[in-house]
Amino acid sequence: MTQGTMALSDEGSRGAAADATGLIDRLGFSSGKVTMSTNVKLEAVEPAVTGEGEKPLIELRNVSKTFGAVKALSDLEVSIRPGELVTVVGPSGCGKSTLFNILAGLEEPDPGNVLRLKGVSSTASDLLGKVSFMPQRDLLLPWRNVIDNAILALEIEGMPRSEARRQAMEMLPEFGLAGFEAQYPNQLSGGMRQRVALMRTFLFKRDLMLLDEPFGALDALTRTMMQRWLLDVWQKHKRTVLFITHDVDEAIFLGDRVLVMTARPGRIKLEQVVDLPRPRKADIVTSPEFIALKKTLLEAIEEESMKSFQVSGH
Amino acid sequence: MTGVSTSAATLPVASTGRVHAAVKPVLWLALGLLAIEVLVMALEIRPYYLPRPSAIAANIMATPGAYLAGLWRTFLETALGFVAGSLFGVLMAVIFHRWVTLRELFFPLFVVSQTIPVIAFGAVVVLWFGNTLFAKAVISFYISFLPVTVNTLLGFSSVDPRQVQLMRSFGANDVQILRRLYLPAALPQLFVALKLASSLALVGAIVGEWFGDTTGLGVLLLQAMYNENVVGIWATIVVSACLGMGLYSLVSLAERKIVFWGGEQ
Ligand SMILES: Nc1ncnc2c1ncn2[C@@H]1O[C@H](COP(=O)(O)OP(=O)(O)O)[C@@H](O)[C@H]1O
Ligand SMILES: [Mg+2]
Repeated sequence: MTQGTMALSDEGSRGAAADATGLIDRLGFSSGKVTMSTNVKLEAVEPAVTGEGEKPLIELRNVSKTFGAVKALSDLEVSIRPGELVTVVGPSGCGKSTLFNILAGLEEPDPGNVLRLKGVSSTASDLLGKVSFMPQRDLLLPWRNVIDNAILALEIEGMPRSEARRQAMEMLPEFGLAGFEAQYPNQLSGGMRQRVALMRTFLFKRDLMLLDEPFGALDALTRTMMQRWLLDVWQKHKRTVLFITHDVDEAIFLGDRVLVMTARPGRIKLEQVVDLPRPRKADIVTSPEFIALKKTLLEAIEEESMKSFQVSGH
Repeated sequence: MTGVSTSAATLPVASTGRVHAAVKPVLWLALGLLAIEVLVMALEIRPYYLPRPSAIAANIMATPGAYLAGLWRTFLETALGFVAGSLFGVLMAVIFHRWVTLRELFFPLFVVSQTIPVIAFGAVVVLWFGNTLFAKAVISFYISFLPVTVNTLLGFSSVDPRQVQLMRSFGANDVQILRRLYLPAALPQLFVALKLASSLALVGAIVGEWFGDTTGLGVLLLQAMYNENVVGIWATIVVSACLGMGLYSLVSLAERKIVFWGGEQ
């Protein structure tokens, strides 16, 4: 894989090898005998297999967002079915994070939009607390250890700490963090911090999960491990995931569909279905189907990157 | 559990350095005192300027009860003022943080209040509350709360707004965000202020006693001065210094226990 090319590995380099071994270890036995813990509710139980006619979990139409003079999103249309893993790529600054902020309820889009969660029309702020959101940075609290960082969302929901901790402890091995529960964020490598943040997102059990470049700051090796691990976990937990990345390989490797966004103001330029069989092995990236998809996507992205380059390069 | 867990459990926790760090300053202090003792004798400095450390120690040992009573009284005044001032300081920071209009209205007033010299203010407080322990605590309170407010606000402003957004996305309300994010995040800054406030509170209590009282280190200091009891003055200074250092160490100790993550964020 060539995913390392754009990785800004400022924190990722630390302890990469340890991460990788930990994960290989985990993957080794998670594939076989790990049983799903009972506490994991399967909200998005209907798998995507039920077909095209299924009601979307979330639907956006005519969504625009203006910040002062900057138009970040323009008439965006997105629709996500339950159980799907949809990846989003696009030039930087095209409004990907803005889209997530709207879906997480943190930003209200411009008036005139349609936003439906499970068919119910809502405003963005209705979505606060309804979507599990992982922002671009891990944003772990330095005074909380691994377990207590992971249960932050559960605590806010009002779950008693002991119960929340119990649930988190059960999830630790799956996230390659067994034995690290009492460590503090400054004792962890970049990859581990990211997994704690992911675990925090997973424990906040919501129908829709938003991951904003979760592996963006990791080195290539750790990142590849994390992608395989994410697929593994996703297949077991059956969550609906929207995943932002700037890496085309990652977008194809993970996604059921890849959405390519245009340069600012962001719209969906291309919606590419990825019909590669699952479970996907690491060597799938060298298959002709993969390469063909990559070519199509790269062309679309290149076009948009040029545009945004010209716009900002005036 | 695999090798991962064992390697995590055996990560080193520093402890051997602790004892060493505690003994070293004591040794240095003893050496310093000895040096002064020798110097005072060698240069034949008159006790009027600087009594020998051993003479000061003897003075304290001669009437330990008086010093202990004074120490206890001043400690109570300081502690009361310090605790009240710190709590009030944090409370005001929370209020100013939550309601920006209140901050714009009243914060300048707070700052102006601190430009009134505590000496001038002290006379009024003693007039209002009499020669009570409470009056001294009020003066301690008055000069210790502002640094706490200022630093707590500084700590609040260091919070990453994306962190706040994350909490909001979990559905957190203002109180939850305050308790789980703003207050812990402000702790490193808060402790910087608390260390300063502990020293200020002691000054407040001693100065407060000068306006009239019967016990306390400030009283001992005044009495020794009127009686031109130079050794007594120095003895009181030493006891006051011990109290100041004790309070400071107590706050530092709490800081090390509470702000264990070192505020690196
Ligand atoms: N809160 C904000 N205020 C003003 N401008 C913003 C704000 N958030 C994002 N923008 C602008 O909107 C555009 C899209 O940003 P963003 O969604 O972060 O892009 P991406 O995540 O795709 O890199 C950028 O030009 C950015 O400067
Ligand atoms: Mg972004």
